[in-house]
This record gives sequence, structure tokens and C-alpha cells, in this order.
Amino acid sequence: MRISTEAFFRQFTQSLQNQQTSVAKLQEQISYGRKIITPADDPVGAARTVNISQTIGRIEQFIRNGSYAEQRLGVEETTLSSVTNLLQRVRELAVKASNIGAQSSETFTAVKTELEQNFKELLNLANTRDSTGEYLFSGFQGQTKPFVETPAGVQFNGDQGQLQLQIGTSKNVAVSDSGYELFLNIKNGNGKFFTTSSSTNTGNAVLAPGSVIDNTAFAAEDFTISFTSATTYDVINNTSGATVTSGATYTENAAIIFNGLQVSINGQPQTGDEFYVRASRNQDMFSMLESFISTMGSYPDNTADRAQTQQAMQAALQNIDQALNHIIVSRAEVGARRNSIETSNEENEAVAFELTRNLSEIRDLDYAEAISTLQYQLTSLEAAEKSFAVIQRLSLFDFIR
Amino acid sequence: MANPFNTGVTALLTYQRSLTTTGHNISNANTPGYSRQRVALETQIPERLGFGYIGGGVKIQGVERLNNQFLTLQLQQQTAESSRLQTFLGLTGQVDNLVADDQGGLSPSMQRFFGSLQDVANEPGSVAARQVLLSDAQGLIDRFGFFDGQLDGMSQDINQRMVTLTDTINSIATNIATLNESIVASNSGTNTAAPNDLLDQRDQLITDLSELVAVSTIDESSGARNVFVGNGQILVFGTDARQLTTIQDPENFSQFNIAYVTPAGNQDITALLAGGELGGLLDFRHEVLNPSRSELGRIAMVLSSTFNSQHESGLDLNGLVGTDFFNTPAPNVITNLNNTGSATVTATVTDYTSLTTSDYRLSYDGVNYTLTRLSDNSSVSGPGPLTMDGLSVAIGVGAANGDSFIVQPTQNGAGTISLAINNVNNFSAAGLVRTSADLSNLGSAEITFNQVLNASDPDVFDTVEIVFNNPPTTFDVLNITDASTIASGVGYLSGADIDVNGVRVNISGAAEAGDTFILQQNSNATNDNRNALALARLQTGLFVNGTATYEGAFAALVGRVGTQARQSEINGAAQRDLLNQIQTRRDEVSGVNLDEEAADLLRFQQAYEAAAQVIAVADNLFETLLGAVRR
Repeated sequence: MRISTEAFFRQFTQSLQNQQTSVAKLQEQISYGRKIITPADDPVGAARTVNISQTIGRIEQFIRNGSYAEQRLGVEETTLSSVTNLLQRVRELAVKASNIGAQSSETFTAVKTELEQNFKELLNLANTRDSTGEYLFSGFQGQTKPFVETPAGVQFNGDQGQLQLQIGTSKNVAVSDSGYELFLNIKNGNGKFFTTSSSTNTGNAVLAPGSVIDNTAFAAEDFTISFTSATTYDVINNTSGATVTSGATYTENAAIIFNGLQVSINGQPQTGDEFYVRASRNQDMFSMLESFISTMGSYPDNTADRAQTQQAMQAALQNIDQALNHIIVSRAEVGARRNSIETSNEENEAVAFELTRNLSEIRDLDYAEAISTLQYQLTSLEAAEKSFAVIQRLSLFDFIR
Repeated sequence: MANPFNTGVTALLTYQRSLTTTGHNISNANTPGYSRQRVALETQIPERLGFGYIGGGVKIQGVERLNNQFLTLQLQQQTAESSRLQTFLGLTGQVDNLVADDQGGLSPSMQRFFGSLQDVANEPGSVAARQVLLSDAQGLIDRFGFFDGQLDGMSQDINQRMVTLTDTINSIATNIATLNESIVASNSGTNTAAPNDLLDQRDQLITDLSELVAVSTIDESSGARNVFVGNGQILVFGTDARQLTTIQDPENFSQFNIAYVTPAGNQDITALLAGGELGGLLDFRHEVLNPSRSELGRIAMVLSSTFNSQHESGLDLNGLVGTDFFNTPAPNVITNLNNTGSATVTATVTDYTSLTTSDYRLSYDGVNYTLTRLSDNSSVSGPGPLTMDGLSVAIGVGAANGDSFIVQPTQNGAGTISLAINNVNNFSAAGLVRTSADLSNLGSAEITFNQVLNASDPDVFDTVEIVFNNPPTTFDVLNITDASTIASGVGYLSGADIDVNGVRVNISGAAEAGDTFILQQNSNATNDNRNALALARLQTGLFVNGTATYEGAFAALVGRVGTQARQSEINGAAQRDLLNQIQTRRDEVSGVNLDEEAADLLRFQQAYEAAAQVIAVADNLFETLLGAVRR
């Protein structure tokens, strides 16, 4: 084969260039620490890199949202904890005041004064603002003061909106509770029904709270126990107008059973006395406190009044128990949400870590391998240069003298 | 009469010429396209004498050019392909680099935008968070603009290069024609010796031309070589050179086409051209540049339209229904420059998620219009308006037979998307309506807001009550605002969709008779992020072509450009090797080896010296004869 002198030089420069290109490429990879400098180096890998980076970015945002959610729920939990403490104190007062015989007009006034303080404090708690100045419990209307005292009682100006944050690809968490849910939407009585008596009763009898004994027979309807004489009574369904029981004989503390529930009456009723068993209504915490406060307004000085007060105290205690329970359940729910956020954040962090590792596998350079390849390429480049230097010196012209 | 003196003189002259040719070879060892030459020798016609023939010395038969025309032709063809690939690779590499940067790419801006959207969802009332959202939205738009600007710049560069290239092609064509003239002239008359160096020059010019555009050649008996481009368009015919020129693409005013200049006018031959730098430019523009621009544009348009549509389903901080967040780019319609009719065409997008990245041609045959998707030539026909791929094309009156229009749905998307709102209060983070349960409800049923179906329903803000009947197996829907009944006795199914006044809600759980649920305008809702959350969810929605997220579509673009760059890198390397191999094979025949020439120098020098010696001997003989006579 003939080799032209030009081809010899051309081939050498070309192979030198090829080798230098590889060395430069490797050097670039080493200085960036990446296998993929441009998508052409690994198109599939590059596209995956874009996708994975986006997923990581999104997950990091979820983690950020999670800590934000946690912070918001923390504020709510603190507030609810204060509400719990307050209700516990109110409950203590109710228990104490229930023992009417041991009380006096003075102690009633003292309880009333403390209750009024508690009422104001509860109102303040219900109007708590977060660090950005938005009301915590006004639903969507962050700038609207949710609870306002009016002559007709405390009015709720917020709404039932609940703020949710995204803490996972398909996972939202509620980070607020509307004041409606927390302070308004509380079933009074025992949660199924509540007992009360007519204010015109003349006897000293009190209708005890009672309980539902047969859930399937129970219907959310209102009933009146009406005494036709001191020893007989009728039970009338006010919702339907039907008479449930007629002319039943009254025995003190004996179980009166109808509509799947059981109540009993303590004391001596008089003819015309009426007692009511009503389906539980939603009652707000403030009106519960307000009626308790009004009960503490005057110490009963006769047996009929005392029975009324007893009946009212009993209702107050029941309601406060309901309210307390409601807040405790709400708090537990907030706690559960915080746990769930924590779990989510841990999951998110684990996924982000795993994805970062994947990303690194696809994109990052194995230095050991790269450097040994570089070493090898440099050696072969050097060999090419040396051999060229030796061979190019050989020219016949050198020998023609 | 043969004698040693004459014989010696023929050798002297012959070897002098051989030495000159060797010197010529050595001089041109590095001349591109040079073919080594060799003096072919033959014996002089011998003299017949009675006993036989006496040789009369040596003579030159001719000067041979060592050349294999087949290899030269291959070299020219492979040069065209190699040059095409190098050009294509160089430009694709630029796009590849452009999308490579994972800090400056589209995805970080996209992620920042959706991240700040989540931050607004975290604090819907925060003006600061909203401000950051608007800045990041502008950042995202700038990113789209940056990419579009870069690609547009490349498109302009290509136009410039096409102008330069056609000039160079024309000047080479003229040179070839001139050489043809010289070669034909040298072939005329009694002189039939080949003009070796002229032939080399012409081969080299054609090789140079092949670097610019692929050509084909046909030799004439006169020695002239005709050169054709494209589909047989004559570039050089004998001694006559024709011209190429650049014209504005009649179907895309912003780019140039190549036309063949004929007496009847310019003939657009862009589609016929292949190979060389010009072919590389055209291929890049067709396969990488325009599709990448269209894909970016599509992402921008789909983002803009889907985002707007959700944004308009919420309430802003002023309590007003959201307006456009982005200004959605409109499809581009180009009226062919050659149209004779006066019709105008408007294209609108009816379904952004069906958009393709292809361009479309609308043509008129005098009766019907045909809308053709240029990526695969599938089409729809009819009297118009025509719809295809979420695109609706309306045609005005006055079209003439043969008129055509080009519709580019997404080409300008990335360059023209802009931010429509500039006041942070106008971002609609809140839901349109809010729902509530009446406090006096006895049942445990709950109402939940599902989604806005039609934000422009005229009654969307009317207060609506859903009241359960006795027994609570049915409910009535009452419009409280205008005291009308929307529906009555609707059967209750827990969790079923209830659509009222453009809004969908669900009621689930056990309801009691008289239970009431309320829908009302969501006024003062500074702490509501429902719409912001819905907007944030768009990030993972498969809207682009109905199969990809915004970012997924960009990742696919990165992958596609990467593959094209990688493919052309591999092909380019293979082509380089092939070209090298053919170059080496050509040089094997035609290239100068200096050592060989050195040996030839010695050989011819020695022969020359020997011939001189022959003359000296002849002289001696003569002297001897003279001496003998003188005595």
C-alpha cells in the first residue's frame, strides 16, 4: 500500500485530535463531576434527570408545606389546650355549684363572677389570630372577627371553611378548623337528647339526665312528660303529636322508658308539672356558658325554684361535659393531623433521599473510573505523540547528501 | 541515423523532463486535490538495418496523472454527507447545550413558579407570597422568552448562512465553468494531451462545492463536466454557470428558502436540496429547530390556557371572579405570498390539550378546503370551517383556486406568552362559593365543595339552600337570592354529585328532615386557598397532548434533542471515519510520497548522468576517429 506523505500527517493529526477530544470530554466530566454534560451524552438519562429533579423539587415543597402546616396546627393546638383548661375549670365550678344545699347566695355570686371571666377568656380564645394576623377560627374569612358579643348572645360571623395544605402528591391535610365546628356545632344534653322542665312547675321534682338504652328504637324527636296528677303522668310525642303513654303511675326514681331511652324523675311532682325530653340540638359553647351564668344569677329560696336550679345545673354540667368532650376530640384530631404530617414528611424525605440517590446514579461521575480512564487515555496520547516524533524524522532526503 | 550521440541526447532531455515532473510532484505534495504525475517513457522508433533493428533511445509518451475518478467521485459524495452531519451536529449541539443547563433550564423556573403557588396556598392572604408568585410567573415567562429568543436567533443565523452559502456556491460554479472552458480549449485541435493540473483543480472545486451542497456530475465528450444540484437543476452546463439565490419562504416569512434562478423567474428548490452545509442547515431547521420551538410554544400555550381556566374558577382578594392570569398566545396564520385570492384565515384553539407541534397547510381547490397536518400529511376536507387536533380554522371569502395558508398553532407560543395580571390582589386563590350546614341541623350529614363547573353561570353567586324533606330521602334546592325553586324532590344519595348554578357539591352522611345546607358567595375569603390548591394540582395534570405534564413535555423535548444530537454525533464520527478512509484510498493512488519522489530524483539523476556519459563516450569515439584521420 502506498502512503502519501500528506495522508501520513493527516492521519496522525486526526488521531491526535480524536484522542484529545476524548481527553477534553473526560476532563470536562471530571471538573463538573457529572457523566451527563449535555443531553446528548445520555438522552434517556437526561430526560429522567429532568423528571426526577422536578419530582424532588415538588417533594421538597411538600416538606416545606408540611412544616408550615405543623406550625399552624401547633398554634391551634395551643389554643385548644387553653380552651380545655378553661372548660375544666368551668366544669369544676359546675360540679361544686350542683351541690346547691352546700351553697349560698354569696358563693353563687362568686361562681358567677368567675364564670363571667371565663366567658370573656373563652371569647378571646375563640378570636385568636395567627402570626400573620388572620383569625384562626373564622373559616375562609381570615380578616373577619369570628365571634362578636351582641345583646342576643355571641354571634358567629365566620364561615365553615377549612384551610387545607398539600403535603403529598395526592395528600391534603386540614390546617384549620372553623369556629363553627369547634364552638358551635356541639350537641347539647348527652348528645342524643337533653332533659329540662317547665319553668311553671310547682313540685320539687327534677328530671334526671337519663340515657339511650336502645339505639335502634331511638328517634331524634321531642317528648313531654306531663303529670295529670301527683302520681300519674302521660308521655306525649311533640314531634308527631301522638300520646306514647297514658296514665302511667309515677314512682320516684323509677325508670321511665320510651323511644329507646330511659329517664327517671327524682322528687315529688305536682299536677300540671311538665318535663321535657328533647332531641339534642347543636348549641354553641357561649350560650351554654351564658345559661350557666344566668342560673348562678340567683340562689333558689324555695323548693320549686331549687328544683328548677337543680334541673338547670344538671343541664349545664351535661353541656359542659359535651363541650369539653368536643374540644378534646377536636384536639385529638389536630394531634392526629400533626402525626400524619410528620409521617408524610418522613415519607417525603425518604423518597427525596432515594430520588437524589437515583439522580446521582444517573448523572454523577464515578471519579475512580473516570480518572483511571483519563490515565489510560493520556498514556495512549503520549505514545502516539512519541511514535510520531520518531517516525516523522525518517526522510530519505536526510540521506541524500 | 541512430548514433550514440543522438541516443544520449534523447535520454538527457527525457530525464530532465522526468526530474521536472518529480520536482512538480514534490512542490505539490501538500496541494489539496493534487494528483501525482509521472512521465511515461517509451523507446524511440528503432532503425531497421539489414541485420535487424538498432534502438534510437528513449522518448516521452506523455505525462500521466495518477487518478481514480471513481474514488474522486466517492470522495465528493462523502464530503457532502460529512459536511451535512458536521453542520447538523454543530447546530443541534447548540440546542442541546441550551436545554442542558439544569439551573438555567425551564424546569427550575417551572418548579419555582409552582413552589410559590404552594406558598400562596399556605398563606392565601399574604401579599408577600402573592408578590413572589407574580415574580416567579414572570421569571417563567422570561425563561420561555429566553429559549424562544435563542432559537429565533439560530433561525436568523441560518438565514445569514444561507445567503453566504449561495454566494459561495455561485462563485464556485462560475470557476468550474471557467475551468471547463480551459479544459475544452486544451482538448481541441490536434492536442489531445490531458491538462492534468486543470482537471485536478476542477475536481477540487467540485469537492469544495460538495462541502456546501450535494451535487451530481456528468462528463461531456468535449471534456467539460456538467454539475447539477437538487433534483437535476443545472448549476454548471459546459462553460455556462447558473445561479442560486435566497428567497423569503412564501409559507414562513421569517425564514429563507433557496431558489434556482431561471429566465422565467425563481424556482424554489429548497425541498430538493440535500447534503453539504446547506443540507445540514435545512435538515436542522426542519428536524430540530422548528419542532423544538413548537414544543416549547405548546408547553407555554397549554400552561397558559389550563392555568387561566382554573384561575377563572376562583375569587381574588377583592372578591371578584379571577380573570386571565397569562395572556395565551394565539396560533399564527401565514397567507402564502403566491396567493391570488383575497381570503383571510383565522385559527383558534378549541382544545389546548389536543394541540400538536405540527404546522398545518390549508389549501383551496376551488370547491373545498383541505387542512393538512404537515408532520404526517393526514388531512380533513370540507367547505370550512375545519377542525383538527383542537384547532379550528375559519376561512373568509375571496379565496382563489390554488391558494394556500400555513397555520402554525404553537410556533410563537414561547415567545409571546405574557403575564396578564400585575396586581397581587387579582390572583384568585379562593373558591367561588362556600358551603355550610345550618346550625339547627339534627342529622350528621355534611356538605363538601367539589368543584366549579362553570364560573360564568349568571346565578353562581346566588345563595342556595338545599333543604331535606320529611322523610329525608329527598331534598329541595331553593334559590334564596331570587326566591325561586331550582329543583324539588330530588332523591338523596349520600356522596352523589349535586350540581347547582355552575357549582358541584356533595352531601354525605345521614340527614334528618328539615336539615338545611347553604351555598353562598365566598366573600371576604382571605384565608381560602381552594383555588390555589387546584392551580397547584395542575402541575401534575396530563395536559400536553393529553399525555404529559408541562415539565414532562419539556423533559421529552430534552430527551429528543439529546437523542438527535447523540445520533448525529455517532453518525458524524462514522462518516468522518468513512471520509478518512476514502481520502486515504484516493491518496494511495494520487497522493505524493516524498520518499518515493526522493528515490525518483536519485533514479532520474543517475539516468541523466549515465546519458551524459553516453554523450561523452560518443564524443570520445569521434575524437578517436578525428585523431586517426589527422595522423
